[in-house]
Amino acid sequence: MSVDVGPVDDFPMKRMRVLDIGARQVGIVRWGDRIFAVHNLCSHQGGPVCHGVLSGRLTSPRPGELTLDDSSPTLACPWHGWEFDLSTGTALLDKKLRIRTFPARIVDGRVLIDLK
Amino acid sequence: MYTGEIIDCDVHHARGSDEEFVAYLSKGWREYVADRGPAGLVPLTVQDGLPNPHGFMRADTYPENGGAPGSDYETLRRQLLDRSNVRRVILTFGDDSHVSGHHNPYFATELARALNDWTIERWLPKDDRLASSILVACQLPERAAAEIRRHADNRRMVQVMLVDNPYNYGFGHPVFHPIYEAAEETGRPVAIHGGAGGWANPASTGGGNVTLYFEAHTLWPQAMMTHLVSFIGHGVFDKYPKLRLLLIEGGAAWLPSLMWRCDCDYKGLRREVPWLRRLPSEYVAEHVWLTTQPLEISPRREQIVELLSWMNGAERLVYSSDYPHWDADEVKHISAQLPQSWHRRVFFENAMKLYGWSEAELPASRMVNA
Repeated sequence: MSVDVGPVDDFPMKRMRVLDIGARQVGIVRWGDRIFAVHNLCSHQGGPVCHGVLSGRLTSPRPGELTLDDSSPTLACPWHGWEFDLSTGTALLDKKLRIRTFPARIVDGRVLIDLK
Repeated sequence: MYTGEIIDCDVHHARGSDEEFVAYLSKGWREYVADRGPAGLVPLTVQDGLPNPHGFMRADTYPENGGAPGSDYETLRRQLLDRSNVRRVILTFGDDSHVSGHHNPYFATELARALNDWTIERWLPKDDRLASSILVACQLPERAAAEIRRHADNRRMVQVMLVDNPYNYGFGHPVFHPIYEAAEETGRPVAIHGGAGGWANPASTGGGNVTLYFEAHTLWPQAMMTHLVSFIGHGVFDKYPKLRLLLIEGGAAWLPSLMWRCDCDYKGLRREVPWLRRLPSEYVAEHVWLTTQPLEISPRREQIVELLSWMNGAERLVYSSDYPHWDADEVKHISAQLPQSWHRRVFFENAMKLYGWSEAELPASRMVNA
């Protein structure tokens, strides 16, 4: 079931908006030419993951140096800080743990979320 | 009881006298410490502020002809080397090991150099079962690294030893990295020896300084925890992927719970340490060994065995007696605590792997039957 959640301009770049869609809260964010939708429920301890820090992926070539991989949006839950790959929902440090993601797309300037 | 071959990774040797050692200082430093009459020598060791009410040494280890425990080879041979199937012991110095507790970094550096030379000349020729730690003064890490490299070709100077902490940062802090670079380059494990608490540079107890030796001794594992997490967090094992770390005299049973906590915290704090490539416990499983002494004793033996199993104790523990200290562990005592299937590994094989030795390069044991 696809849900039209509004015009694309209502979804600012790199800022998560959380919407109530039916019984669920879904976080939606545009990142470059992509758009992501995730369930606002952390699979670690049930926290409101979409209210956490959203950023590119902090990486490091060697101790003491930080680099930013802006092509890998990463969401850190505000409860306990566990990080998730926004494109797959998988926890960075525990591949068994995922937050639920929903297919999202932009059609004719509207954002559509597939909630099946 | 285990009766097989033994490598003892912590045996404290000592100077018979100040005079015996002073000759190993450079001319300039000999002049600096020189006896000027009533004032005597400049103190060569830092003072311990926390006395043990019944002394730090086993009473029976005082040599018959005088001197400090650990200062007389014949006593050590009779009481330790010939008493069991010892193929190698690693000397770890006595009070002199606290060079990094000295306030004067240049004096500390010279003391470490001279103590290593004194050991090479006065101890190692006496018995081929003896090997020694390379003592370094951490105050000047570049100089410490040079001291390590100076012994690169001496196969009986087998590990780099750190004890006191001069800078109040965990030993993983980058200020210490030149030491680890030299250790890795020369193929020597780094050994952190517990017990710096209460000396000139304590910094070994979280929450506040201790004021009783009872507190200090019980809490020695705290310093080990600090240094181990510091090594992991600062990426020492990523920066020096061949480095091996031995934790001496800090106990062992605390390691599983620390690693459970550390792995969990890493998952929530990865953004601060994105240079880590693995879970903390995975670094430990590859890079870290612990000595047995002083092994924690649980109400039921199976409890400690279960706990040590969580850290793969059969592979990560190495035997140490801590002779001639008051809390030294006997082979009989340790073998009674550990499963028989672990014995040969803990008493012998694990140390062989840690130090990278082959059977051929170790001398035979020369046990004298009682």
